[in-house]
Amino acid sequence: MRAMILVAAIAALGIGVALAQDRQDQADAARAIEGAAEEETVLPDGEGRSETFAYCTVCHNTALIRRNRLSRDQWDGLMDWMSEKHGMNPLEGEFRDTIVNYLATHFGPAQAPARGRNPFLN
Amino acid sequence: MAARHGRTERSIQELYRDDPERADALAFGRRGALKGTALAAMGAALGGAIPFAHSMPEGTLPALFARPAAAQGTAGSGAPQVLRMEGKAPLILQGERPLVAETPEHLLDEPVTSYANHFIRNNGGVPEALSGDPRTWKIRIDGEVNTPLELTLGELEARFPVVTRQLQMECGGNGRAFFAPQTRGNQWGNGAISNAEWTGVRLRDVLQAAGLKPSAVFTGHYGADPHLSGAADRPAIARGMRLAKAMDEDTLIAFRMNGQPIPHIHGAPVRLITPGWPGSLSQKWLTRIWIRDRVHDGAGMGGTSYRIPVRPIVPGSNSNGADFAEMESMPVRSILSSHAHGTRLPAGTRSLDLRGAAWAGDLTVRAVDVSVDFGATWTTMQVAAPANRHAWQRWTGRVTLPSDGYYEIWYRATDSDGRMQPHAAANWNPQGYGANPISRAAILVG
Repeated sequence: MRAMILVAAIAALGIGVALAQDRQDQADAARAIEGAAEEETVLPDGEGRSETFAYCTVCHNTALIRRNRLSRDQWDGLMDWMSEKHGMNPLEGEFRDTIVNYLATHFGPAQAPARGRNPFLN
Repeated sequence: MAARHGRTERSIQELYRDDPERADALAFGRRGALKGTALAAMGAALGGAIPFAHSMPEGTLPALFARPAAAQGTAGSGAPQVLRMEGKAPLILQGERPLVAETPEHLLDEPVTSYANHFIRNNGGVPEALSGDPRTWKIRIDGEVNTPLELTLGELEARFPVVTRQLQMECGGNGRAFFAPQTRGNQWGNGAISNAEWTGVRLRDVLQAAGLKPSAVFTGHYGADPHLSGAADRPAIARGMRLAKAMDEDTLIAFRMNGQPIPHIHGAPVRLITPGWPGSLSQKWLTRIWIRDRVHDGAGMGGTSYRIPVRPIVPGSNSNGADFAEMESMPVRSILSSHAHGTRLPAGTRSLDLRGAAWAGDLTVRAVDVSVDFGATWTTMQVAAPANRHAWQRWTGRVTLPSDGYYEIWYRATDSDGRMQPHAAANWNPQGYGANPISRAAILVG
């Protein structure tokens, strides 16, 4: 009986260790994706790219930029929103113009929503 | 085949992209019927004849071109980037930091969503894994309560009734990509939804143990995930809900998903599950519930965040959201899981057995209807009862096809109050919540 309890306890310990390892592995995998380095060339070339890349990727990667198609007003408003809601250092003056201009130029509204590809032509 | 139709396909697609009104006028003609050379051109663009061309609506882009990129499936060239993560299916990668991934609809074919196919949404960073015994994880209940509580996971499990339920969890922005003009945020198709089996204790039992003061009206939730900026004094997100929802029997402090400890990426070891309301109310890596005497004012509350217009605003206009209302129960929505958008079927296929799921926040789904002739006629599907309240409902049914060619499967759910998914995303708002239009999947027979 005692042996069985011991075996069960060792098995439980083993499962516990395995689960802890799973958690660690999952966390590592997720954090590796989060931490993957980006080059600024992932953004389209243009005036203000370096400034935009440097300032924005302090907090988030460029996917958050690239998936958006917003008007200049919307981009501009987003700068205030990030300052007010997320503690970004307020962007002002010429530096703000540089970044907003870059975003509005390269990630302005599409005339129609982004269209998909033709899946039958793969 | 691809090369032969390449030129035509590109030109029509470009035409629609650059000037949809003109494209429509050219394709459909002045009488609004798709015929003659326009019909042939459209058929060539789509890759097959269009048997129901006569009912193809003017002003509606073929689903083949209209689906948001993220809803286009994950195979082939030009497909969206996919998540490469051990144990996870190739979900559509919406972003790396914060880590966000959407489940393609056809991977939501399981009645109970597996870990592999569960979407990922983070507002902040993914926290370090807990190295010690998860049963020592602590949550705090404080604020407008008689007895503030600090409870370990072990105590939660020992002290309160443990329940297991299938519960929907849906991002408040699910369907955002259907808005025009585009709104900011993750460009979700319909895949920010899951229906896993969650085990935990009822939040209401814990709140009752703490004793709610008469002044208690709202919750405020906090988790261990760090703010994206790394600022230690700033929560990644801190949302809250009316007390009535916190006291709902299906609102859980959960610690198991599908019978296993919650996977790290989904909020281990303890998270809230607030089914049917925006997923951000299902706080991951839960550490604290602050009972408030007013509407919670944490990060992700107020303004245009998780709030929707009471009176419609001009799409694309600016608004500070001051007169918006909190987004609560999610709107009715359906998915098709048996056939991926872009499925090509053998020539001669004359019927399809369809499957999917539908849900409607705190309500249930009364009906799911499917059309293969651009909405001219609809076929009623069989909708199963939910496994329990707040679980999604699976639907099945058969449609027939008269010939080979290009079809769109349009699928539309109706909630228990009689509200249907609309033809176009309505009630546009700056952060893009509540887009639940009828969805369309393109298939090609032959």
